[in-house]
Amino acid sequence: MTDIFVDAKGLACPMPIVRAKKAIDSLQSGQIMELHTTDKGSMNDLQAWVRQTNHELIEAKEDNGVFKFIVKKG
Amino acid sequence: MANKKVAIIASSPGLETAYKALNIATAAAALDAEVAIFFTFEGLSIIHKDAEQMLKLKPGNEGLAEGFRKVNVPTVPQLLDMAKESGVRMIACQMTVDVMGLEKDHFIDGVELGGAAAFLDFAFDAQVTLNF
Repeated sequence: MTDIFVDAKGLACPMPIVRAKKAIDSLQSGQIMELHTTDKGSMNDLQAWVRQTNHELIEAKEDNGVFKFIVKKG
Repeated sequence: MANKKVAIIASSPGLETAYKALNIATAAAALDAEVAIFFTFEGLSIIHKDAEQMLKLKPGNEGLAEGFRKVNVPTVPQLLDMAKESGVRMIACQMTVDVMGLEKDHFIDGVELGGAAAFLDFAFDAQVTLNF
């Protein structure tokens, strides 16, 4: 069900949202992006990013130091 | 949505200024904002072709170099590429360029030369204005 997967692990701010933006631009509305990060600020940043870009955060969770996000393109 | 605007002035020396201005600029572009950076005085080093030699950490901040490596922070050229790719306008202040005896080809591709009015024309309806 994921249309694009973005591995932003090991990348510092602002790279996770820059990568997320680039990836989601390649999708159609309603398609799904999965993003993994390790930047500790990304839990807050991703929530801000979806608010500002009108995408939908379907899921945000931490798994062993990896933050995993499922975003539906708005 | 596309009417969010962020207007940034980069006028201070050093690598720290480059990171402050470019991180906010690339993040703002990722948040679907239109972004313009006005580079003036020492801030011009950021877009100079020899930026790598010109941009140093402030005295006392040298210890941050290791942290930058450890945290895997993008380099200034990488941030500039991302900024360009995401449509960030980069305006070099014509007056300070002239005062410093510089020419357009001292700067990286994609930089436009302009005066205060060129920046203000963009900045008047920006919701966010920042000065670094």
